[in-house]
Amino acid sequence: MKELRYVGQRIIREDSYDKARGKTIYVGDMKRANMLYAKLVLGQKAHAEIEIDKTEAMLVDGIEAIFTHEDVPKVQYNAFEWHSSIKAPRDEYLLNNKARYVGDRIALVVGKSKKAVEEAIAKLSIAYKEEKPVIGLDEATSLAFSKEISTGDYEKAFENADYIIKDIGTTPKIHHAAIEPHACLAEFDDRGNLLIWAPCQVASQIQIHVSNILNIPLNRVRVVKTVMGGSFGGKSIPILEPIAAFATYRLNRPVLLYMNRTDTILGTVTRNATKITVETAVNKEGKILGRKIEAHVDGGAYNTNAAAVTMALGKKLFRLYDIKDQCYIGKAYYTNTIPGGACRGYGSPQAHAITEVNIDNVAKTLNMDPCEFRLKNLIEDGAKDPTGSTDIGNAKIKECIIKGMEAFNWKEKRKNIRNKNTNRYSYGIGMACGTHGNGYTGAYPDYTSVDLRLFSDGSVLVNMSIHDLGCGTLTIMQQIAAEALDIEIEKVKVTEADTLNTPADSAGTQASRVTYVCGAAVKEAGEKLRQKLIDTFCKLKGINQDDVITSQGYIFNKQSNQKYSYSEIVVEAEKTFQEDMSVFIKYKSPANPASFAACFAEVKVDKYTGLVEVIDFLAVHDIGKSINPMLVEGQIQGGVQFSIGMALTEDIDIDSKGNVKSTNFSKYHILNSTSMPKVRTMTIEANEPYGPYGAKSVGEMATVAPAPAIINAINFALDTNITTYPATPELIINELNKKS
Amino acid sequence: MFINVIVNGEKINIDINPTKRLVDFLRDDLNLTGVKEGCSEGECGACTVILDRKAVASCSVLVGQVNGKEIITIEGLEKDGELDALQRAFIEIGAIQCGFCTPGMILSCKALLMNNPFPTEDEIKRAIEGNLCRCTGYTKIVEAVQSAIEWGHGNDE
Repeated sequence: MKELRYVGQRIIREDSYDKARGKTIYVGDMKRANMLYAKLVLGQKAHAEIEIDKTEAMLVDGIEAIFTHEDVPKVQYNAFEWHSSIKAPRDEYLLNNKARYVGDRIALVVGKSKKAVEEAIAKLSIAYKEEKPVIGLDEATSLAFSKEISTGDYEKAFENADYIIKDIGTTPKIHHAAIEPHACLAEFDDRGNLLIWAPCQVASQIQIHVSNILNIPLNRVRVVKTVMGGSFGGKSIPILEPIAAFATYRLNRPVLLYMNRTDTILGTVTRNATKITVETAVNKEGKILGRKIEAHVDGGAYNTNAAAVTMALGKKLFRLYDIKDQCYIGKAYYTNTIPGGACRGYGSPQAHAITEVNIDNVAKTLNMDPCEFRLKNLIEDGAKDPTGSTDIGNAKIKECIIKGMEAFNWKEKRKNIRNKNTNRYSYGIGMACGTHGNGYTGAYPDYTSVDLRLFSDGSVLVNMSIHDLGCGTLTIMQQIAAEALDIEIEKVKVTEADTLNTPADSAGTQASRVTYVCGAAVKEAGEKLRQKLIDTFCKLKGINQDDVITSQGYIFNKQSNQKYSYSEIVVEAEKTFQEDMSVFIKYKSPANPASFAACFAEVKVDKYTGLVEVIDFLAVHDIGKSINPMLVEGQIQGGVQFSIGMALTEDIDIDSKGNVKSTNFSKYHILNSTSMPKVRTMTIEANEPYGPYGAKSVGEMATVAPAPAIINAINFALDTNITTYPATPELIINELNKKS
Repeated sequence: MFINVIVNGEKINIDINPTKRLVDFLRDDLNLTGVKEGCSEGECGACTVILDRKAVASCSVLVGQVNGKEIITIEGLEKDGELDALQRAFIEIGAIQCGFCTPGMILSCKALLMNNPFPTEDEIKRAIEGNLCRCTGYTKIVEAVQSAIEWGHGNDE
């Protein structure tokens, strides 16, 4: 095999040059002639009939329109539906007829300036007739979804067990906290198409909903993905876009719909809160015999992703440990709180948050080292999913632990770390494992298309519907295309989604599918186009394939010792054979293996204040192949920041009446530079079949295992059994008080 | 109110409402859209600019407060088409992902290096403690600042 030139290299992202200079245009920076500004009015009560009096607000100078439920199409939809074949309960309107949570969208104010819009919102008179809200899982009774997944006979396994270890834990609602607040711009383009510019994850999903709600054919709705100032799932389901499209449609003017931070926290979606009960049955020898897990998921006020996230959460539980007899019961409930939505890891962080703490408790009961206990029970390479779902693939989780133990000096630290303890500070180390997927195969449609073209000047366009969320996806595709086509990387450009101009893609940038699925499609296209070039060249020159080699944009004729640039061949071929030099491929993902990680954390707990400091962190990831190590490290380090937040500080704080207290960054705490440890990363690269050059996913995986690793470290430091996230100072002090 | 201010080396004399926020003046009046707004309350640092050698959140400063002062935004860091060492380091070390926090982050670091050319790791972390980043976990950002210093550009001004 040829040595890889671009794959595996620390290629610098082209877009970082403009980003470092402040030249990058995000949607909130876009301006249009006659553009109007729009802002949603969010309900202030958790459950109430509403009556809105617009009279005074309409008098504000510059106000063009104020829309409420009465003005919008009476079309119910579920913004979660991301493909034409997916149907979920439809229970939301563009503007809702009732306030069902604090943050529910109940009106839209449109005006010539932000100032006018803000002034009108302040003058809008809203009367609420309150009803009793349902807040939190303990109060919830209305089921949004319910499903059981079972393998074997867990009850029988429980009968044979020496120990059954039970834990009940909770995980919070989490704000994605992309630093770019939500926004989008709608207008009519020069051909009369309704054009929506949006930092989105699935442009075609917006297209589907706008078309359905406004009754416009799909081929007249154009959605263009703009530069994304972070998403993490938050900008995945269309929230603003259909409403902005409606305003443009009604007013025939460009409309920029914007949100501030508080609106972004209240009026979009959150990671679903959960309450999870896990019971694990083991024998004395340390083998897991069976497990029962019941997860209650807070779906929020609308159905959105209730089914999908509850299923995704459960399915992961069958793909990490070798447990033949296992039962998962997942139930999602409606509450009068912010709806759930995609959030980096999609159910995996919640599942592992509780089960990985439980695994530590099982090891503790058996008096075994938690790493050793896991090594005895984790799945092997090539394991099958016992539920019949897609094969797990080349699973290297055991190697992650073994390498991680060594690099972290696990055994020595675990034995001696408590020697560092003082009256005030306790130290501990902990670890946890996790798994996540690679696309939708086995559950939902997972296909994509690539139109790869070599121009007459030798430049290359990879035309596809990619959405770079900020991770560097475009660079990954560029590296794969350059490698497969054997051309200088600078010559390759990759498009992002534009629904009327880029080819079909079923699922956008979600479900950890882009590198594994779309990357494989680009590789196939690159290899086919390179072969087409070779065939064409041989036909033109009357020589055999054996007589040519390619290298970096050139074909060499070994017989004549002459070299030709790709550009020359394209020009000659187009003239001679009247055919352009391109390939169009349709790719269906044949597999959906698992990615894995083992994380190791050292913490220092202040017993006086309850503050936890993470002083060392190591993440070891099984990723098949690192296409760009610099970007992989960035994904892991950022994922750790996300997950430490879940472990220690992040929680959308909602009181018993449904009022949200954490409405800004002074009350919703994401980790800043001084609270973050330096994150060390390691990768196990053992080649995943079907992945491009052996690669599989990492970005979502990175948010799964860090949080339970930290909680396990805290529990080891304090000899507690914390299963509530986040472990705030208050919670830790309470736990310490309980002990004394 | 007439305001005299130097922005990215250019003298500006303008009749303007002094209660306008600095971020709006820079973005809307001067079209310096590299100044980002992430929280509007001085908590995320995306709107950071350098005001008389200090990093400030421009959403929490009013135009009336900048009279007679000098402002540097991200657009003003390049000199004669040459990137600042910090900009180069952020690009080359991979400290930029979505890029939305980047202008503010770089300017907080620039203000630090203007006043302290050879900061320790802790000093770097403290200089950006008011700049939130959700993508990088800060590790590569700190590394980028250290690289810029190593490259010998920590002592300009």
